[in-house]
Amino acid sequence: MQGAAAADAAAPPRNRMAVALLALAGVFVSAYLVLYRVGVLGTLACGVSGGCETVQASKWALFLGVPVAVWGLLGYGALFLLAFAGVQPRFVASRRVAGALLALATGAFAFSIYLSALEAWVIHAWCRWCIASAVIATLLFLAALPEVRRLRRPG
Amino acid sequence: MAAQKRPGSAGSGLKGFYWVLAAVALAGIAFLAYSLFRADRAATEPIELTNVEDARALLARAEGIKVGPDTAPARVVVFSDYQCPACGEFARQIGPWIQENFVDDGRAQVIFYDFPLGGTHIHSFLAARAARCAADQGRFWEYHDILFARVMEWSPSREAPLEQFVRYAGDLGLNRKAFEDCLESDRHADAVTANRMLGDQLGVNATPTVIVNGRRVYNPFDRDELRAAIVAEQPAGAEAAS
Repeated sequence: MQGAAAADAAAPPRNRMAVALLALAGVFVSAYLVLYRVGVLGTLACGVSGGCETVQASKWALFLGVPVAVWGLLGYGALFLLAFAGVQPRFVASRRVAGALLALATGAFAFSIYLSALEAWVIHAWCRWCIASAVIATLLFLAALPEVRRLRRPG
Repeated sequence: MAAQKRPGSAGSGLKGFYWVLAAVALAGIAFLAYSLFRADRAATEPIELTNVEDARALLARAEGIKVGPDTAPARVVVFSDYQCPACGEFARQIGPWIQENFVDDGRAQVIFYDFPLGGTHIHSFLAARAARCAADQGRFWEYHDILFARVMEWSPSREAPLEQFVRYAGDLGLNRKAFEDCLESDRHADAVTANRMLGDQLGVNATPTVIVNGRRVYNPFDRDELRAAIVAEQPAGAEAAS
């Protein structure tokens, strides 16, 4: 029974795999926006709805003086590394990894709610890539929720 | 037995995970690379032209956009820039007036040339190319009008307004894919560059500049001056009739 429990603990958690995959997608979305921000992309592929350049040119495209896309890149990058480490057998049971994953995913989710609220009520423009990031952050948060159970587990 | 199998299944689970991860990474890298490549393709400023020392060759390369019969006695040459407000005014007020009064009855032919000023008019070269991409689908004048009508929408854009230009093509019912392929290339960059060089050679230094059979009209907004310039080119009999 104990052996089975230990083996179960060492099995790579599927929710962390999902977090790693989503975070990697988030890394590319933010990298795309960072490339635009630094001026190497001529324009954003924004579709018929437009709005991307309005959002990117607004003063809210900066947070604490740093472009939001850079924050996204850092956040998603950290989440990817954590989740990637978290699926390795030696870290599967780590409460620190669980806690950090949960904290970061919650932070990312809260930040994307803040940005979406700005788009809806302040900037009055929607950017397809920001919506993609918000969807990723929401899914990331849901995928990180099982970490609560791991935190509660006596370690 | 079951406990012995688990580590194996965990390993194979990770292996599958790595494959999916690699696929997502590859797709992401391919997307970023494509985006960089795409941004580089759209010609937004004049290019190097060869074999245009001869004015005749330059004129042929410029491919002015004509409206009205080649046999018209008066050739009204217009040099214009899509980011120039006066050109917008000219397109709205004077263009239709010339069309109604002189082109429709065959007395004048209008030949439109681009004169992208550059400087603060950073998108006028691309706009000129966009209009010529629309001309490929037979809709130059509609696109020309929409560019002037919506100039406040695309002109302030910090980056090349490719997205807006493609949207306008869609609004006009053009084949979006063909238009986009044209815009995001260097197509017509040679013609627009030749237009600009032609204007420089002719001493164009402001837009809009209007030249009737080689003679410059000093105030293109003065309908009397324009009428006089066009009428002066009509054969004696026709002039008397007008």
